[in-house]
Amino acid sequence: MKIVILVLAFVAVAMATECDNLTRLKVKSQWRRAYSHGHDREDFAQAIWRAIFAQVPDARGLFKRVHGDDTSSPEFEAHALRVLAGFDIVISILDQPAALKAELDHLEHQHDNRKIPDNYFDAFKTALLHVLPAQLGRCWDRDAWSACFDLIAHGVKGH
Amino acid sequence: ASGSLSNDTIPTSKMLRLFVLLGFAVSCCLASERQFCCSAEDRHIVEKQWEVLWGDTESSKLKIGFGSLLLQRLAKEVPEVTALFKKVNIEHPESGEFAAHSLRILNALDMIINLLDDPEALDAALDHLADQHHDREGVKKAHFKTFGQILHASLPRVLDDYNAMSWRSCFKGILLKISSKLQG
Repeated sequence: MKIVILVLAFVAVAMATECDNLTRLKVKSQWRRAYSHGHDREDFAQAIWRAIFAQVPDARGLFKRVHGDDTSSPEFEAHALRVLAGFDIVISILDQPAALKAELDHLEHQHDNRKIPDNYFDAFKTALLHVLPAQLGRCWDRDAWSACFDLIAHGVKGH
Repeated sequence: ASGSLSNDTIPTSKMLRLFVLLGFAVSCCLASERQFCCSAEDRHIVEKQWEVLWGDTESSKLKIGFGSLLLQRLAKEVPEVTALFKKVNIEHPESGEFAAHSLRILNALDMIINLLDDPEALDAALDHLADQHHDREGVKKAHFKTFGQILHASLPRVLDDYNAMSWRSCFKGILLKISSKLQG
């Protein structure tokens, strides 16, 4: 009996997902499908941002310059796609450490004087983790995304 | 009688074709200031041909390689450009900094191409890129012209299907808009 419990415990530890090399590859390929093209990509971006603002309405204040009050405005559409493009870069080089570090440093620098509270990053994560399965259906791994998102957010926040 | 009839119809259909062609040419040039003949069909062709580059999960290496090649070629043709990319370590093209930057440039191209169907958002995105380049002292309009030439020479080498007319007509407007806020 003890052995069974030990084995189960061992399995549970082994299954606790980290953003390791294999997990990164999984996230990369799932992202490639979710990110899609053209209008689908615009809708994907739109869904993420609406989900963010629904959780933290005050965050709109940070996006005044890009018309955050109206997520359908061309200015905000362009902004939403810029953000996803940055995210796309990070995801696609998750398995290339030197480039990944350079890009995270670049993003950290772009964010460092914007005073973004940590809970806005949490809202981004929650939004992404809801919109992704809507986009991908069953073939997606929440734990893998959660772990790799945390790694990216940590890099962008710089703490 | 049938001979004279066909003799009549051939010139008429030729004339008609000529008129239609002329009509296209005129409408294209009238609209050129705004859309540079980048028609809906052109945009779809560009989007479709570009997609090929992004199909594979491992395509980031290809994209980094391609972006890095474009920038290095630009620096070779216009040596003064090297200084402009000093911050992203162009002296060491294999470095993480330059790889990330190459991908950034290629991803901006990707964003633009995927916005071709939404002209207003495309305009906003190009305007932002124009601002970003305006803030970089030393970047000149001529650099974008050369970059366009390098792009058109390089794309057919990575894309099996490449419609030069469509790409040129769309990218003329795009590159002009990104460089529109530059002084020189």
